[in-house]
Amino acid sequence: MHSSIVRIQNVFGFFTTVAFVVAALIAASDLIAPRTPSANVAVKDVQVVRGRPHYYSSKKEEYAVIKFSLSADLSSLFTWNTKQIFVYVSASWPNSTSTELTNEAVIWDTIITNPSADHLQNIGPVAMKKLIRSAKGKSVDPSRGKIELKNQKAKYQITAPTGKVAETDNVVLKVHYNVQPWVGILTWTPQIEFGGWKKVKGGVSKVFKLPALKVKKEEKKA
Amino acid sequence: MADQLLDQVRELAEGQIDFEGQKLAELLATAVLATVGAISFIVGFFLQDIKLSLYIGLGGTAFSLLLIVPPWPFFNRHPVKWLPLAGTETKSQGILVDGKVVG
Repeated sequence: MHSSIVRIQNVFGFFTTVAFVVAALIAASDLIAPRTPSANVAVKDVQVVRGRPHYYSSKKEEYAVIKFSLSADLSSLFTWNTKQIFVYVSASWPNSTSTELTNEAVIWDTIITNPSADHLQNIGPVAMKKLIRSAKGKSVDPSRGKIELKNQKAKYQITAPTGKVAETDNVVLKVHYNVQPWVGILTWTPQIEFGGWKKVKGGVSKVFKLPALKVKKEEKKA
Repeated sequence: MADQLLDQVRELAEGQIDFEGQKLAELLATAVLATVGAISFIVGFFLQDIKLSLYIGLGGTAFSLLLIVPPWPFFNRHPVKWLPLAGTETKSQGILVDGKVVG
């Protein structure tokens, strides 16, 4: 500590250590926050059409166009450490060649930001102002986790590697989420209830009710 | 004249402090930064605001740098007592070499 430079080095070195420890504590604080998401998704309309993967492809493939309704409550996922939540709806059906594998394709997704990350949203200046004003004064806004979509058009038209999806049985829409924190690890929809996630009982992370394994009859659009 | 100015600047930039001051600087660095870290986490956790945590942390670190890095006077309260230079001391015993008094 004999000269200014040495003092700067020591202080900065300890600062990085402190920053790391605080970040680790913040990430760990997520583990004690309960997560109880719930969602309800239903298919409203589905069609299978023929189309090209790219403008210049020579082969035409079959694509499924799905319209759905989604009602979800992901508000418990928003903590002070949540930066944004990526929610996506996928259609999945069993693979004809294997009993373990399933085909799964995403039909719709969205990013929900916490107010602390609003400035990162990819929207125009007017929408941005509206977004920031909607959460004025709040640092965490769990109400953004409530999603109500009626007859939502799919963002993506899906197909299978074989190029044929018409008349596929046992298709199911699933809702997934990915919590992206400010500090910490990325977490997705849990497949098993993580006992360590909650210390006390009650942090059940219900994935949601599958719209009862629907057997979709898809007609080829002429 | 410029030499003297340069010397002053160099002394300031070097920022030498005495040993007791160094001990104090080390103690301050650990205590202040650890406290700042604790406060930033606790305040952020109870107010559920991570941006606040970040600002407190960075602000506290800037404050600690300001407090510890410059050679403030309170770091120099125990200057080292150097012995007087050789040659100016009145001859007392002289130096003994092999039993004989030399120089």
